[in-house]
Amino acid sequence: MAEREALRPSPFKAFYAMTYRQLVRFLAAKSRIVNSIVFPLIWFVFFGIGWSAAFKPLGPMARMIFEGLNYLEFLAPGVIVMTTFMGGFTSGLGVLWDREFGYLKEILVAPASRPAVILGRIFGDSLTVLIQGAIMTFLLAAFLGYTNPVGIALVLLVAWISSLASAALGTTIALSMRSPEGFHMIVNLLMLPMLFLSGAFFPIKPLPDWMKALAYINPLTYSVELARTVMYNVYSIPPLYSVAGLAASTGILLAVVVRKYSKTYIA
Amino acid sequence: MGEYVIEARDLRKVYPGGIEAVKGVSFRVRRGEIYGFLGPNGAGKTTTLGMLTTVIKPTSGTAIVAGYDVTRNPVEVRARIGVVFQDPTIDRDLTAWQNMYIHGLIHGVPRSVLEKRIPELLRMVGLEKFMHTRLRYYSGGMIRRLEIARALINTPEVLFLDEPTIGLDPQARAKVWEVIRSLKKQGVTVFLTTHYMDEADKLCDRIAIIDHGRIIAEGTPEELKSMVGGDIIYIRVVGDGASFARSLAERGWKTRTLSDGLIAISVRDAPRALPEIMMEAARRRLQIVEVRYVRPSLDDVFLHLTGRSLRDSETEGWKEIARMMVRRRMR
Repeated sequence: MAEREALRPSPFKAFYAMTYRQLVRFLAAKSRIVNSIVFPLIWFVFFGIGWSAAFKPLGPMARMIFEGLNYLEFLAPGVIVMTTFMGGFTSGLGVLWDREFGYLKEILVAPASRPAVILGRIFGDSLTVLIQGAIMTFLLAAFLGYTNPVGIALVLLVAWISSLASAALGTTIALSMRSPEGFHMIVNLLMLPMLFLSGAFFPIKPLPDWMKALAYINPLTYSVELARTVMYNVYSIPPLYSVAGLAASTGILLAVVVRKYSKTYIA
Repeated sequence: MGEYVIEARDLRKVYPGGIEAVKGVSFRVRRGEIYGFLGPNGAGKTTTLGMLTTVIKPTSGTAIVAGYDVTRNPVEVRARIGVVFQDPTIDRDLTAWQNMYIHGLIHGVPRSVLEKRIPELLRMVGLEKFMHTRLRYYSGGMIRRLEIARALINTPEVLFLDEPTIGLDPQARAKVWEVIRSLKKQGVTVFLTTHYMDEADKLCDRIAIIDHGRIIAEGTPEELKSMVGGDIIYIRVVGDGASFARSLAERGWKTRTLSDGLIAISVRDAPRALPEIMMEAARRRLQIVEVRYVRPSLDDVFLHLTGRSLRDSETEGWKEIARMMVRRRMR
């Protein structure tokens, strides 16, 4: 037998293969779309309308609390980001199921570039999450009578980048876990504080210092800030800082997951 | 290119928690042969296969697979092997075609080749009709065959099969065996693990018998069986079996009393030895209640080497599998 040059996939092809897989899986399970937007929608409707009603006696004074917006306007960008952030985070759980059902081995035993594989997977997940985010955005825009197309396009961009960051974070955590049960515990311990400290539901500025400090190391804060900036041109953190914060946190989280995945063995 | 496709030297794996699954195994697999790891469940077969296929990191020792070191050059190894793990590693939400397409892409097979090769391979394993069926509707045997077909997409030098027919019904097993034999004809080297002695006997050119993480014998099925030394006579008597067995041993026959009182005697030629044995029993006034002889099977080899039957270990294994299934259901 002659020496044969073994086939090796280009990183691009491996990336494409994993994106393809995530998209096909998503289309095969359409019920997930409904699932992933119901929770944020409930939040928006009950929390949003509830507090709006509570603030009503204040009249226009309420706008002073919420950076010049009414509470629903204040809440909407946060809920959009929350949709994609949560969607991205839970998509990380996928690698845990892959371990459980053996598919992780199928990937690990391929000669493909690990960074390309995991980034392709995260990218594919982020696209499916973007679809969910877009549905949410259109629903909220219709509800609020928001019509600025640039604002909608930019808020989706922010929400998409935010989902990359959260998918990277969720995947990193999932790779360190052995059971889905453990993952759910971490989700609750980590995701809820991150959501509450992101400025999505209440402004960060008046918070006590220790909470404020936590908010500023929370990557989600920058996404929420930017989402509000691109939709309504209001902000409590200078937009340039938010861009830097979002870019840096996303970059770091992606680098961490690539490193983690490259070192993954079955045992 | 060398004669050996796999060369393992003193491979060892200690899992976190201190369980030493593989206690240093060394062996070589020749190009084009079917090489089998035969042993009971928990003997270290799957762990060894995991190390050879780069998904399990050896604690110590080395292995060269298809010319590359599994720890230093894992990617080069992965590019030259195909693997079918013991548990399915498929995406049930995707169709057979989609599973194979993704596998092909991450193994660097050009898309134009895939378009041709996927239907070809599915035809080889008799699944072309179900090419676009989602795998959640496949039976266990179909999944196995699909996985073998999938592992061949990148025309590997070595195909690794971990318990290729575990849990399959006889018909599905026969089909998988047929596929494996046809691979040998195509010149693919096959490394398989199994705890079925008939599978090892019928399929493998050479076999390593592994027990408690160590290789205890290696050779062709014939060589291994000749270790037992000809035929085995089983005899059961009423009365003092122990001293009867001792007297037989004094005549130079390897004798062993099994857990249920059956006496196993290794002889060169059973038809000639039987009269003598029966006369000895008569002299001792022992009533013979059962006597038969067999040509040795690999199970006898295992028994000969370990004092345990592979079949006993096998039922243990099945209990473990049943437990695993229940656990999986419960999720």
